[in-house]
Amino acid sequence: MTDAAFSALASLADPSLLIMLVVGVLAGLVIGLIPGLGGTGAVAILLPVTFGMDPEPALAMLIGALAVVHTSDTVAAVLLGAPGSASASVTMLDGYSMARRGQAKRALSLAFLSSMAGGLIGAVGLTLAIPLARPLVLSFGSPELFMLTILGVSLAAVLSRGNVVKGLTAGFLGLLLGLVGSSPTTAEERFSFGSLFLSDGVSLVAVALGVFGLAEIASRVGQRKVTEEPVTLTGGWASGIREWLTHWTQVVRGALIGIWAGVLPGVGATAGTWLAYGQAVATAKDKRKFGKGDPRGIVGPESANNSVEAGDLIPTFLFGIPGGVPSAMLLGMLLTYGIQPGPSIVSEHLDLMYLIIWAFAIASVAGAFLCFLATGSLARLTKVPFAVLGPGLLVVMLLGAFQEGGQLGDLWVMVALGVVGFFLKATGMPRAPFLIGFVLAIPMERYYYLTTNLYDGAGWMTRPGVLAFAAVLVLPVLWSLLRKARTATGRADDGHRDEHPVEERAEVDLEGSMAGTPWSLGVAAVAAAVFAGALWMSGSFSEEAALMPRLVAVGGLVTAGLLLWQELRPRFQPQADPEPTVHDEAPSGGSTLVATRVEQRTVAQEARAAVRNRDLAIGARTFAAMATFLVLVMVGGYLAATLVFTPVFLLYVARTRPRTAVVHTLVLGLVLLSLPSLLPVELPLGALQ
Amino acid sequence: MTQHVDDEVLVTTPDPSTDPTPVDERSAPTPRTAGSIVAGFAALAVGVSVVGGDLLNPAASTTDGDYAGETVEMMIPLAEGGGTDTWARFVAAELTEKVPGSPGLAPVNDDGGEGILGTNNFMTSARSDGTEVLVSTASTVVPYLLDMPAVRYDFNELRPILANGTGAVVYARTGAGVKGVKDLVDRDEPLVFGGIAATSLDLTTMLAFDLLDADVTSTFGFEGRGPVNLALQRGEVDIDYQTTSSYGPAVEPLVKDGTAVPLFSLGQVDEDGEIVRDPNFPRLPTVVEVYEQVYGEQPDAEALETYRAILALTYTYQKALWVPEDTPDEAVELLRSTAEEMGQDPAFQKSAEEVLGGYPLDASPDLAERIGDAYRVDDDVREDVLELLETDYDITID
Repeated sequence: MTDAAFSALASLADPSLLIMLVVGVLAGLVIGLIPGLGGTGAVAILLPVTFGMDPEPALAMLIGALAVVHTSDTVAAVLLGAPGSASASVTMLDGYSMARRGQAKRALSLAFLSSMAGGLIGAVGLTLAIPLARPLVLSFGSPELFMLTILGVSLAAVLSRGNVVKGLTAGFLGLLLGLVGSSPTTAEERFSFGSLFLSDGVSLVAVALGVFGLAEIASRVGQRKVTEEPVTLTGGWASGIREWLTHWTQVVRGALIGIWAGVLPGVGATAGTWLAYGQAVATAKDKRKFGKGDPRGIVGPESANNSVEAGDLIPTFLFGIPGGVPSAMLLGMLLTYGIQPGPSIVSEHLDLMYLIIWAFAIASVAGAFLCFLATGSLARLTKVPFAVLGPGLLVVMLLGAFQEGGQLGDLWVMVALGVVGFFLKATGMPRAPFLIGFVLAIPMERYYYLTTNLYDGAGWMTRPGVLAFAAVLVLPVLWSLLRKARTATGRADDGHRDEHPVEERAEVDLEGSMAGTPWSLGVAAVAAAVFAGALWMSGSFSEEAALMPRLVAVGGLVTAGLLLWQELRPRFQPQADPEPTVHDEAPSGGSTLVATRVEQRTVAQEARAAVRNRDLAIGARTFAAMATFLVLVMVGGYLAATLVFTPVFLLYVARTRPRTAVVHTLVLGLVLLSLPSLLPVELPLGALQ
Repeated sequence: MTQHVDDEVLVTTPDPSTDPTPVDERSAPTPRTAGSIVAGFAALAVGVSVVGGDLLNPAASTTDGDYAGETVEMMIPLAEGGGTDTWARFVAAELTEKVPGSPGLAPVNDDGGEGILGTNNFMTSARSDGTEVLVSTASTVVPYLLDMPAVRYDFNELRPILANGTGAVVYARTGAGVKGVKDLVDRDEPLVFGGIAATSLDLTTMLAFDLLDADVTSTFGFEGRGPVNLALQRGEVDIDYQTTSSYGPAVEPLVKDGTAVPLFSLGQVDEDGEIVRDPNFPRLPTVVEVYEQVYGEQPDAEALETYRAILALTYTYQKALWVPEDTPDEAVELLRSTAEEMGQDPAFQKSAEEVLGGYPLDASPDLAERIGDAYRVDDDVREDVLELLETDYDITID
């Protein structure tokens, strides 16, 4: 064993192999920076290059890229609030908040260092897990996988910033969106309204970038000046490393959870990052800062999402079951070299396995190190006002979303979801459970269906794995209820409630600014209407295909109803209690800014209403601009549309100097022109082309 | 060192193009400046989209026996990764290298509608100059066979370049009380078959069970064949099939340690249209042989014909490369004959062994005829299949 390990390491000292690894790492880093391309893009661009190579350099290159994609995709999530993958959305929770408070450099340093450690621990885990993988995978049957999907969505709903009812409603909305398309059990089309395009379901990248990225552009494009605190650049690398070291237990725990979750085929990778976040919150004594820039919320998940990639290689190689498109392509590459996945790979190709492990470890370290060196310059990106970044971001994000299916329809869906994301954000509904619900909807349905069909009665509920997951789900709730009952006065460290004014100042942010207004009431009402409509529509599906939509719709109706009640109650009894309901106060918003005198209150309310109207107007204008851009794309193609749209936007919306507008447009145009030849990127074509 | 860098970061002068120097609110630009900038870019945009398109895509010349300077665009109607994608990328890369003039290769994955959307798009918009190639596989062939409403393509209006088949083996869990093919019938409790969807490649195996009148119930909804294999190992399902390429790694170890037993292969259709043993599994009987073994007679001719037709379509000619009908004969012939030579080249056979799965790369001159026969499915066969789906699986295609 050790012989093979060291001979593999020695072979990596071969310059040609090392060069391939470096090429892979650089390609992976660059592609990871562009939200939406991710691992698929990285492997897709490198795969054609590997045809004709020996297996060793080819593997070194692909593994190099795969190991670092999740290191650099943090950049867009943390700096711009635009996660390109479901796992990056977890890092975003705390990372983006931290960056918005002027600590972008700190957030990035923590993230990169954790990625590095996650990758390293993942590589070690990969070695150790090989003998354990088979019993582990075989002990997870359909019931356990079903419980894991439930756990993933519930954790996201409970742990996201915002109150639980809102989180659950968002989770149910996401699940419903995930059910659009063919049913996994009967191949029946649901909620597709007869459109073949929708019968495929909505594209993940469109959802992630729409709900987060576009909503972010729309809500921040109004700021022509940088309203954030100036980027603090205190402390060098050493202090970054020191702070990170204090969280080493979180890093290790996150990485272990990541490996474990990555090993489980299908659902692991998404649920895993949330489990890592969940354990960080659960084990923390002071939970108040989670979601507002707690370093522990960054290190755990970030270390997990890199080790997940390592864990994911285990089912890929040992069972031929890839957890995602990138590992599927890797598998295909192995096949062209005549290397068959399967338990025998360990005995027959041990040297290659070790090469993979070493390449993974070295790439993780090198990738994270390069990113870490660049944090200072990357962090300066937050100094650029969003209005100026807007068009470039929009163009890149839409292009990223276009790559997944090559459908213009995806871009329209993405803009529509941007509007949804804008309102969710404004009314303080957490968007992370929405995304996680969307991702896990089909696996959840699949494993529920398989569980009920392959097991008699309710016997599966007593399987030890199922009970353990159920305990993870239920115990924290019971515990907090118990504690609440005991100390009725309530010490304030039990959740995300913002009873203490932790925020030093009222953030100039849209987040939650419309909570407790007619708008949030409206969002609750619309959600309830959507669930009711879904319930009604599911009546026309076959019994098997209707099961899951019905469950989701009924669950959604219940939570949306609760939400409506929460919204309406204070309206009927306005003076009843200054600390009403379960309200999780988002920083600036809400009806309970302690204002004792009525006059003061009305003044404050009017000011807020004015801000609100301004936000809404800007949002409406931005989304209209995005729609216009898409119309231009349909007419003249992507490049032409960009050339027209960017200067107009910069001159009239961002009010930049003419020279800036010209330079920006030219640069963007050149990038678009050269991109297709550098990356596996296709530009949408217009009718005139 | 550290200090130095920090200083540097702090004193960096803002980049004029990215930093708008947030001074006071700037008023809207004068209409004239703005107008001229926008007009300039608009002109550039028109230029790019009209002229640039033609410049970048000059007309192809593929009828001169030479593909020099061309790029072959290959439509893969499935997602990246997975068997068909790997097969197509590998075969096409080798092929374009050997075609005179060594054209470039641009694989495009358009995975809409389980392959249907991409194939539809190819049908309506592919250039018929021999520079656009379509990949077909079971997931686009079965919907075509069933005449599903979304299908807007017709393989009779395409011309094949090359084809490559695969095979499959049905095996069962010994823990479910299966020792041989006789245990397929007259059971106390039916065997549980794990499937992906009735309208997928599973169809052929379902037809085999139907032909044998095997005592099997089906649960669909699995994500792929790999997960079914795991579910069988866990005892969640009893009977499964794996295609040739995954049989070795997924099933053989189970056979060795006695947890599973191989029952029969789905067989291959030979050049005379007979069902013969799979060359990769010469010791396993075919479905037809199993029928004789169990019932002591030949299966019903009509049912056998349905099975044979579907087997040819979904296995023997499973994967193929196609060009549009109007593609010039010279171009088609050039691609086909290059593929034929390549298929006979021992070096290629060796390097492609795993990708081709032990089945020859078929590009002989009569390919179009044979594949045409296989793809022209009789209405009787189609009705038989639709009836089976409706009566046994409660699925209607409208």
